[in-house]
Amino acid sequence: MIPREICQRVLRKAVSTGADYAELFAENTGNHRISMIGGKVDDITDTVVAGAAVRVYKGLRSVMASTVDTSEAGLLRCAEQAAEALGQGEAQIDIVLRERLFGDIHPVRIAPDSVPNKEKIDLVKQGCFAAKEYDSSIVQVSGGMLDVDHKILIANTEGVYAQDRQIRTRLMITAVAEKNGETQTGASNPGRRMGMEMFEFIDPKDVGTRAAAQAVTMAGAGYCPAGVMPVAIENGFGGVIFHEACGHSLEASSVAYGLSQFTGKLGQKIANEKVTAIDDGTIPNAWGSINIDDEGTPAQKNVLIEKGVLKTYMIDKFNGRRMGMPSTGSARRQSYSFTPTSRMTNTYIAAGDDKNEDIIASIEYGLYAKQMGGGSVNPVTGEFNFAVNEGYMIRNGKICEPVRGASLVGKGSEIIQNIDMVGTDMDMGQGMCGSSSGSIPTNVGQPLIRVSSITVGGR
Amino acid sequence: MDFNAFKEIAIAQAQQMGIGEYELYYEGSASTSVSAFQHEINEFSSATDGGVCFRCIVDGHMGYASTQELSEAQAKQVVIRAADNASSLESEEQEFLCPGGLEYAAPEKKDIPLPTTETLIHTILETQEKLYAADPAVIDGCQAEGVVESSEIAICNSKGLDLHHASKRVALITAAVVTDGKEMENDYQIKMGALPEIDTDAMVQKAVASAKAKLGGEPAPTGQYPVVFDPDAMSSLISTFCSIFSSENTQKGLSRLGDQEGKTIAAPIVTLVDDPFYKDGAMRPFDAEGCPTYCKNVIENGQLMTLLYNLKTAAVAGKKTTGNAFKGGYDAAVGVRPFTMYLAPGDCTEEDLLAKAGTGVYINSLGGLHAGANPISGDFSLQSAGFLIENGKKTAHVKSFTVAGNFYDLLLNITDIASNLEMPGMGRFGSPSVLVKGLSIAGK
Repeated sequence: MIPREICQRVLRKAVSTGADYAELFAENTGNHRISMIGGKVDDITDTVVAGAAVRVYKGLRSVMASTVDTSEAGLLRCAEQAAEALGQGEAQIDIVLRERLFGDIHPVRIAPDSVPNKEKIDLVKQGCFAAKEYDSSIVQVSGGMLDVDHKILIANTEGVYAQDRQIRTRLMITAVAEKNGETQTGASNPGRRMGMEMFEFIDPKDVGTRAAAQAVTMAGAGYCPAGVMPVAIENGFGGVIFHEACGHSLEASSVAYGLSQFTGKLGQKIANEKVTAIDDGTIPNAWGSINIDDEGTPAQKNVLIEKGVLKTYMIDKFNGRRMGMPSTGSARRQSYSFTPTSRMTNTYIAAGDDKNEDIIASIEYGLYAKQMGGGSVNPVTGEFNFAVNEGYMIRNGKICEPVRGASLVGKGSEIIQNIDMVGTDMDMGQGMCGSSSGSIPTNVGQPLIRVSSITVGGR
Repeated sequence: MDFNAFKEIAIAQAQQMGIGEYELYYEGSASTSVSAFQHEINEFSSATDGGVCFRCIVDGHMGYASTQELSEAQAKQVVIRAADNASSLESEEQEFLCPGGLEYAAPEKKDIPLPTTETLIHTILETQEKLYAADPAVIDGCQAEGVVESSEIAICNSKGLDLHHASKRVALITAAVVTDGKEMENDYQIKMGALPEIDTDAMVQKAVASAKAKLGGEPAPTGQYPVVFDPDAMSSLISTFCSIFSSENTQKGLSRLGDQEGKTIAAPIVTLVDDPFYKDGAMRPFDAEGCPTYCKNVIENGQLMTLLYNLKTAAVAGKKTTGNAFKGGYDAAVGVRPFTMYLAPGDCTEEDLLAKAGTGVYINSLGGLHAGANPISGDFSLQSAGFLIENGKKTAHVKSFTVAGNFYDLLLNITDIASNLEMPGMGRFGSPSVLVKGLSIAGK
């Protein structure tokens, strides 16, 4: 993308006022989205996101400047702006860039931008039509395909000169069911960090059917009762509970500033001993996977919590300085115009040894959350919330009628103590995680788990 | 290459390809943001952002393509890609471009002066010290932050439209973090406007007081209660559910209001306004298609007066556009959205609402709106914080509970509206405090 010699000149300019670290990040990203509604292709948009950012540090201060002008002159102006904002001083470091090569652990076979619209539309239609035909109560189906070809370059004064091409593909189907004048929705949105070969093992018809089945079930459901009760949360996207209740509070962007309930707790028991939680950016072709993070550090598998004991945080270079700890390959940004910070990749609770039937049988009166929706957390207090998109009551150890409109709220540090049964069949679900450095793809995951007590918001 | 040079190459390319109806949309911004940690500036960033969207009508379909790279190659590419995208579309609605020569209201706009970087840094450091000085409970992690932005939009098309609009924005944020030694709490304030006119003392006091009030709170008791939403909470509900007023959603079956124009959909005291010229708002004389914008009552005394339309959805409904075409970024397809939407104030005070509620819950914070609220069904179940209402007065702080209901029902169940209209946050949605009867609370 940008030759090494130019990067070197830009970094020299960036450190000319005494920065002790400088970094150039450049990207050229193609986003392509097809949208369908009512059985017809409604919108196709595509865009090229292209720009660069220069970041400099001096001690615990960080300055970033970004630009859409990626010519050498534009990059040098950007570096000068960053250097000037840092203040006055003399260049203190010398720069030698070495091209860093790493094995591509997420190989892509069919680049989406080489596939004509027609082929993609056929796949979306298969999903939409399967959803529409599922049941006569399905009144509307919307669908879409998103593919992203994100090419990045990172050069820094530690000598890194590295490039990566991160391709991802996602199919999204939402079905609306109507019964007795009331509407409910169901959705299924599988994605992978790969190209069109994703559809060799994900059948769009299954995706459409899943979305429709959920909408039909929920349209016939009564409201979830409110109260404090045990909840069994299914695998896959159910892992959003760990992501919200705990994951965000283990990011250096909170921990470094003392703004996390888990600051200063390394080596301490913070969760139930049943809980081992991992953030792993190296899972081949998983939705949240990366080869290198957005500071050029190779992706890692980080065991965050082992049998309830806090082992590490997710750390980027800048916040790592304040913490006196090295990067864990966790720096991520949506695009060049966001300042990167520590974020999750693929985060999951590892498989345990409880049988699924034992988990359900152990609950006399509670909720079975089969499909979770999104959520959010305030890392300062640990208070989190998330939606249950498909829930069922459990009575006397048996899964009973479906219920709608439930949400779960609680405090992360308390809830991870309450995860007292962990099943064996770990699976992951795909989401977009929004935070200060923008919206990025992340996987959440877990086996079926039991939370012994949590507040269920319903009616 | 600047936008004008890019435009000329793209137009030449369109003409060469025999494309007669096209539009170029440009959005650009330059911003600076500064934030403090402890007693110094720890992060500073300056960014230039923006891009161009080319869209064109080919065989009756509107194709889009966008880029941030203003080069000769891209200027040709966007035209080729947009035409290719158009050729795959199947929707049957007729597509339109805005004609030139329309009249636009001139907003009475006071141009906000942008502070120099030095002034901004000085204000942030001074405000940061005010946070520490406000209360002994304030701890490290509290943060003053400032953002200065100038942005511009340009739209031109093959029908002679040629519009340009520039705006400036200054925003200050005070985020307070407090502790009582046992737990931490936080809260923040955002204010926009000319820097000298922003009362940082008041912002600091309010953020610190709100954070402190949360210390030690318990969940509210489970049950059905009347609920008072403060302006913040009610504005975020309106923002979350505003898509029900979009004709695009009603026409796609994603809102229940399709056949409700002229009918009663809310309590008689409810008037909901969309005002593109609201004072201190974004004040945009034209929408994302270039059509003139104007102020309208969406709901008047409980009656749905109009849905929100753009050129395409208005044609489907046999109506005129309401000037509500919206793009969620330069590269997005044109949709529909309100500009500055607020619930019109009533004439009682917030204390009157509390007195009328008697026993209930006062909610001043809602969380997880992107997940716990479904704009299609209207259902919501949301993490909340606020106070108990006992004997008509705010009493103990409550948190970590949920409020659940349905927004369509809520509009009908608003029994009283106070006079304290506020436009919190970015100022795009606003409300006074409201009293709603019978919502479900789940807590302890």
